[in-house]
Amino acid sequence: MTDRGYLGEFELMILLAIIHLGEEAYGVPISRELEKHRGKDVAIGSVYAALERLEAKDLVISALGDPTPERGGKAKRFFRITKQGLRKVHETRRVLTGLWQTIPDLKFDPR
Amino acid sequence: MRRREPPPLATWMLTHLTPGDRDEALDGDLLEVFQLGRSNAWYWQQVTSACLLSWGSNLYARRAPLAFAFLWSILSPVWYAILERIDTSQNFDKGSHIFGPFWLPLVLVIWVVLHAAFLWAGILVYRLANAALKRPLQSSDLSRAFWIAALILPPVYGLSFLFANLYWYSVPGLAGARLAATTWGQVSDLGILPNLIRVPYFVAMAAALWGTVHRIRRSDSSAFFDSPSQDFLSEPGATSSIRRALFLVSGAGLVNSMIAAFFFCHLPDSDSVTFVSLLTKALRFVCLGALGGIVGSWLYWKSPASPLRKGSPLPFWLFALTCAAGWIWVPALVLLAEQFSAATAFVAMIGAFALATALKTETWFVFEPAQPNPSQWTEGDLFAEALYRPPVEPYGYIVALCLFAAGAAFKTHSIYTAALMLAASASVFAWRNTVPQRPEFEPSLPIKRSVRRVAIALIPATLLTMWALLDGIAHRSAAIEASAATAAAQSDPTTPKDPNASIATAGAGGYQSVVLWPFPRKKEIIPPLIANDSLLKPGTKSPLIIRFNGPYWILQPPLKAPGLHAHIAKGTPVSVDLQSNNAEALVMNAHQKLARPIPIARCREIDIEIENRDNRAGIISIGLFVNDESSTPRRTLYIGQQPIASTEPEKFYVKTSPTFETIRFPVPPSASLRNFDEITLMFLPDIEHTFVAPKIAIQQFELFPR
Repeated sequence: MTDRGYLGEFELMILLAIIHLGEEAYGVPISRELEKHRGKDVAIGSVYAALERLEAKDLVISALGDPTPERGGKAKRFFRITKQGLRKVHETRRVLTGLWQTIPDLKFDPR
Repeated sequence: MRRREPPPLATWMLTHLTPGDRDEALDGDLLEVFQLGRSNAWYWQQVTSACLLSWGSNLYARRAPLAFAFLWSILSPVWYAILERIDTSQNFDKGSHIFGPFWLPLVLVIWVVLHAAFLWAGILVYRLANAALKRPLQSSDLSRAFWIAALILPPVYGLSFLFANLYWYSVPGLAGARLAATTWGQVSDLGILPNLIRVPYFVAMAAALWGTVHRIRRSDSSAFFDSPSQDFLSEPGATSSIRRALFLVSGAGLVNSMIAAFFFCHLPDSDSVTFVSLLTKALRFVCLGALGGIVGSWLYWKSPASPLRKGSPLPFWLFALTCAAGWIWVPALVLLAEQFSAATAFVAMIGAFALATALKTETWFVFEPAQPNPSQWTEGDLFAEALYRPPVEPYGYIVALCLFAAGAAFKTHSIYTAALMLAASASVFAWRNTVPQRPEFEPSLPIKRSVRRVAIALIPATLLTMWALLDGIAHRSAAIEASAATAAAQSDPTTPKDPNASIATAGAGGYQSVVLWPFPRKKEIIPPLIANDSLLKPGTKSPLIIRFNGPYWILQPPLKAPGLHAHIAKGTPVSVDLQSNNAEALVMNAHQKLARPIPIARCREIDIEIENRDNRAGIISIGLFVNDESSTPRRTLYIGQQPIASTEPEKFYVKTSPTFETIRFPVPPSASLRNFDEITLMFLPDIEHTFVAPKIAIQQFELFPR
């Protein structure tokens, strides 16, 4: 699949969450991780929509786990970042860092 | 600890109101978080956003085919106009003479092919456009698109046709809408009629091209975990798609069986039949019903869109044999339905029960919900599950409601509705109460069982078909005898009529025909005809007023006059409700005899005053005839036909009070008739009044001198 552009903010957050969670990266911990850092609720459906976009871009891959009774017999879908995804995260970080370095220190104004 | 369950409606929405290619892991994630203590409101919010997001992303991913379907459907009125010209050409009509009884099915096939050709051309254009944009489509997707276009178009077209007919007069501008004459006008016209034509083409094209876009190709087996499962039914999402496909295929078989029975199962030409010939015919019809069902289901089973094509939990022949136990009742059902027999509903119930029972017995492993593995539960969980209260099942209510609706339909003589409701209740009841005989699936046993089931059901189904044939022959003979008796009575006026026979009923709970005599007026202000003031007198300027006091005839073709068994009653059409209780249309005439003949040359215009209490939409026209009864043979002059203005769409409204209206008929100065001594009015209703008598009464006639 061809590279269609830069990562969105939400997609970048999800990729970082997947890297952080490692082998336990599926819908629930990813959304919990996002909620923890963003400080507000996340629609799990939107996490899945973003993960689908990332998977279509070959930035993540997924696989099904075993179904469990607590989940109504539904399997977990685990996600793992690909090399291309990792490269993308590094590139985005480099671009963002470079852009931030060109901006002088901002004073935080709560108003 | 008691296990919490999320709102069942929200779970149902998540399962059924989201696209089929959605990731089902989301369901498990939501349930897992809910079990950790989240509220119902949170679950609802998550489900709503999941539904919206999944549809949004689906539509966004398919924006190109949807946009193309929209643009292509813009052109559809042009194609429609071309097909209309073909349909109304004289050469097309010649086909019925050449192909005889096969012409109607052939026309249907031609219709589908011609209309689908427009969509197929569109698919080819879409393919070329994608090839030009370096995005070639897969040939399997294209062949599937061709099939889907042809399969989707007829039902959607039928629905839009039904909508147009039902709301022809309710939707402003629809009744008088016409397609533009020029090609560009047809393309650029955004009126209600062109858009109504575009809708089925857009839906069919969008459905056909929908599958050409694959959002993501996931292998549902694990890529980095070792949990492969090759069992067909254990794949996530496979069970639900197989369930849907099996329902669709059995429904397609049922519809095809009904179509086959409708076209090929008819009463024998001769009324004198032997037991053997009747048995042979009934057996042939029963086999035809089963064969029609098998062919129909096979077409859908093998269609490119069917998931059963790739693999199925049961072989096609087992499925066909299973459903044949229900399809063999279809010929009897169709034969009885054509006679508008009340037994139709009971045959529908039996057939539905047989089909549902057989299907559930043999495909239980597809439809039974997966049971959790007991080894995965701890003792506490088991104890909690024992306390868990199962959700309320709605099936009992559905069965009761269907039975109630069937009873109400019987009361109003809506036999088809009653049949549908009884079939629904029987199938739901059978489905819920059928217990599979064996917990294991062994291919050989179900086939034997299915063959045995069909063989057993074949006997009553054949006997029922024989009875339907005999009943149909009896009804046909009775109708022919009634027509012959009426014709004989009319040709021989000296034959005395049995007064008791005139009020006898005929048929099941109805009358063969009805004669309504208006109530006598308390004071006759104007006699039917005053000799001194007649139109015979030269120089007369004032109109001659004749109060209507003749009978209304309500009858069914081929009867032209009320039969010997006609029901005679006092009343007018506005004071009684008359409707057909069979599939034959009602015809209403009004007859006014004059005291003496009137020379037609002296009559310039005949005005008719009517009282309209009809609250059904639809234009009713009145045809006026004048007759000369004294001449031999009896002579009739057709004066003309006029629509009743108060029934026209722009004048129609639900009448809380009657509308009085005068309809004018100019009389031609030169006519083949010299005098007339009877006026006949024929009510010419539209489709809304086909089976009900219009609630319109004649008040009086005004004859203006020339």
